[in-house]
Amino acid sequence: MDLNGFKQDRFFIVKVGGRMDAVTAPEFEKSCLEWIVQGESTFIVDLKDLEYMSSAGLRSILVVGKKVKSAGGALSFCSLTPNVEHVFSISGFGSMFKVLDSLETALHSL
Amino acid sequence: MRSRGIAFKLVLFTLSGTMAVFVSAFAYVYFSSEASMMSYVEMNGRNATHAAAYQIESVLRGVEKVPVNYAALLTSGYYKTADLTLLPERMVSANPEIFGAGIFFEPGAFGAASTYFGPYCCRGKNGRLVNVMLGSEHYDYFTMDWYQFPLELNRAVWTEPYFDTGGGNELMATFSAPFYKMLNGEKKFQGVVGADVALHGLREIVSSTRLYRSGYAFLISRNGVFVTHPDSSLVMTNSIFSIAEAEHSSLLRRVGQKMIAGGEGFVELPKGVLFRGNCWLNYAPIPSVGWSIGIVTPEDELLGDVLRFSRMVILIGLLGVFVMALIVLLIARRISKPIQDLSASTFEIARGNLDASLPDIHRGDEVGTLARSFEGMRVALKDYIENLTQTTAAKERIESELKIARRIQMSFLPKAFPPLPGNSWVDIAARLEPARQIGGDLYDYFLIDDDQLFFTVGDVSDKGIPAALFMAVTKTLLKGIAEKGMSPSEVLEKCNLELCGGNDSMMFVTLFCGILDLRSGRLRYSNAGHEHPFLVRRGGLPETLAVPDGFLLGVNEDASYQTMEIELQPGDRLIVYTDGVTEAVNRAGEMYSPANLVAEIESCGSLRADEIAERILESVKTFSSGAPQADDITLLAVSFSGPKV
Repeated sequence: MDLNGFKQDRFFIVKVGGRMDAVTAPEFEKSCLEWIVQGESTFIVDLKDLEYMSSAGLRSILVVGKKVKSAGGALSFCSLTPNVEHVFSISGFGSMFKVLDSLETALHSL
Repeated sequence: MRSRGIAFKLVLFTLSGTMAVFVSAFAYVYFSSEASMMSYVEMNGRNATHAAAYQIESVLRGVEKVPVNYAALLTSGYYKTADLTLLPERMVSANPEIFGAGIFFEPGAFGAASTYFGPYCCRGKNGRLVNVMLGSEHYDYFTMDWYQFPLELNRAVWTEPYFDTGGGNELMATFSAPFYKMLNGEKKFQGVVGADVALHGLREIVSSTRLYRSGYAFLISRNGVFVTHPDSSLVMTNSIFSIAEAEHSSLLRRVGQKMIAGGEGFVELPKGVLFRGNCWLNYAPIPSVGWSIGIVTPEDELLGDVLRFSRMVILIGLLGVFVMALIVLLIARRISKPIQDLSASTFEIARGNLDASLPDIHRGDEVGTLARSFEGMRVALKDYIENLTQTTAAKERIESELKIARRIQMSFLPKAFPPLPGNSWVDIAARLEPARQIGGDLYDYFLIDDDQLFFTVGDVSDKGIPAALFMAVTKTLLKGIAEKGMSPSEVLEKCNLELCGGNDSMMFVTLFCGILDLRSGRLRYSNAGHEHPFLVRRGGLPETLAVPDGFLLGVNEDASYQTMEIELQPGDRLIVYTDGVTEAVNRAGEMYSPANLVAEIESCGSLRADEIAERILESVKTFSSGAPQADDITLLAVSFSGPKV
C-alpha cells in the first residue's frame, strides 16, 4: 500500500494506492489517527490508485470516520476505481461518506 | 603445513630462525678464525723453518771458519812443512761439525817429483780419526770441484753435495778455501784447505724440525737436488724439478725455482705432490750454501686446530639448537595445550552440548579471553535456545488454541445433509472454505416454523480472533432474533442495534438474510452492505437480485433496513456468496471476479443445491490454483422445488 498525506488549502489530502486489506489497513488507520491528533480534521481521501479494498479497509475507514466526526471534521473520498466503487456502493459507504469524482471537484465543491 | 598444529609451526619457525642465525654466526666465526689460525699456522711454520735453516746455517758457518782460518795461516807462511800432515787431524778433532778435512797443494809444491800433496783426516766408522795422504792417479784431486772452484773463483766456496769415493767415502759437501804464496807482492795460488760436512749429520737436524706428526722436512741444493729427504732413495738422485716433472706439477716447478733462487714462502700443494694428501710447504733459504729447506705439513694436521675448533662450534651449535627445540616445544605445548583443550570443548558445544564446561576461563591471557568469549556465547546460546523453545511452545499453544477456536467456529454452522430432512419443497446447501487465518464468514439456515425457512450469509470485517468472536456473536443474535418471527429488515435492525453497543473498534458484519415461505414461494429479504446475490429463474440466465440499500451492521445505530420480496417459481435458484468468492486471487494476482461467477452459475443448469455450491467452490479453487487463500469463501445455494401442499 502506498500512503501519502499532505495539506492543500484547508484540506488534508490522503493519497492511498495499491491494496487496502487486513495487512495494510492498520497502517492507514494509524497514520490518519496521527494526523487527527496533529489537528487535521477535514480529510479528502484520494483513492485514484487504490486497486482493492477489503472489509478490513472498510473497518479502518469507519474507525477514522468516527474519530474525524468526534473531532468536528469531515471525511470525504474521491476518484474511486470501479472495484472500490462497487465495494462502497454495496456496503453502503456511499451513503455514509461524501464521494466525489475527482480531487479537483472535491477541492472546489467542498 | 596449514593443517599442522601451533606447536609444530612455532618450533619450525623458531628453529629455522635460530638455525639461520647460528649458521651465519658459525660461518663468520669459522672463516674469520680460519684466517687468523691460518696466519698463525703460517707464522709458526715460518718460524720453525727459519729456526731449522738457522741451525743448519750456523753449523755450516762453523765449518766455514776452519778452512778460512787455516788458509790464512798457510798464506801467511808461518808454518813448518813437517806440521802440515798434522793439521787436518787438528781441524777435525777440534770441530765436531766437521766430518773430514784436508790440505791440498798445487802440483810440484814440494819439488817436481811429488805431484800430489794432500794430507787428509776423517772420522772412521767407530768414531776414530783416520789420517791418509790423498792424491794419486785414481784420486786426481786437481780435477775435483772442491779444488777447481776456489782456484777459478779465487775465494772460498761450498761444493754441491757429492759422494766422495776414495776420500771420506761419504755423502758430503765440502767447503774449500784457497791459500796463496806471496811472490814479489803477487798472490800465487798454492792450494786449498777443505772441510767436509757429512750430509747424514745435517739430516738429523732437518728431520728433527718436523712440525706435525706426519709432516717432513727436506733440503735441496742450489740445483734443486735433494740433499736430505726422509726417502733416502731420492737423495742425490732426484731433484725437486724431476718430481715436478713426474707429477706434472708446474706449481711445484715454480716453487722449486723460487727455492733455489733463495726465496722463502708458504704454499699449498695439491694432493700427490710431495705428500699423499693436500699439504702445505714452508721453505726458506740457507744462504751460505745456496741451499733451501722445505717443511711439508699435511693440510689436515695443519688445519687440525681449525677443524677441531669448527667441530666444537658445530657441536655446541647443534646442542644449542636441540636445547632450544626442547624449550620451544615445551613453550609451544604450554601455549597450544589450553587452545587444544578449548578447541575440544568448543567442538563439544558446536555439536550441540551447551552444558559442556569450558576450561581456562580464569586465565589472564588471550586464551582466557577467548574462553570467556566462548563462555559468553555458550550462555547466550543456551538462553536463546531456551527462550526459543519457550516461545515456540507458546506459539504452538496459541496455534493449537486457534485451531480449536476455528473448529468451534465451524461447528456453529449447519452441516446436516439433507439439510431439511423430510422437506422436498426446497433444497438448500452451503459451503464455507476457511482461509488459513481464522476469519469471520458465516451462514445459517433453519426453519422458523413449519413453512418459513430463514437463511443468511454474512462476512465480518477483518480477520483473526476478534472477527471470529464477532461472527459467533452475530450468528447467535441472528438465530435468537429470527426465531421470534420478525421480518428480515426487523431482524437486521434489531441485530444492528445489539452489535453497535460498545463497538469501539468498529467491527462490522455485512449480511444478507431471507425468509422463504415454502407454501407460497414468496421470498422476503433484506441486505446490510453485503454482496448482492444472484437469482436464476428456471431456464433463465443468472441475474443480480435487486436488493434494498442498507448499511453494514454494527456501526451505525440509526441505520434502517427495508424488506423486499419476490415470488419464487419451482426451479428458481438463489445463490448467496461472500466477497471471498469474487475476490479469490490466482498466482498472477488476478481476481476471480463476478463475471467468472456468473459464467459458472450459468453452467450449473439444473444441478442440486449442494452440487451447485460444490461446483462453484471447485471452480474458484481451480482458478486460484494453489495461491494462498486470503479470505473465507462462502457459498449458499437455495433451490425452490415448488409450493408446499
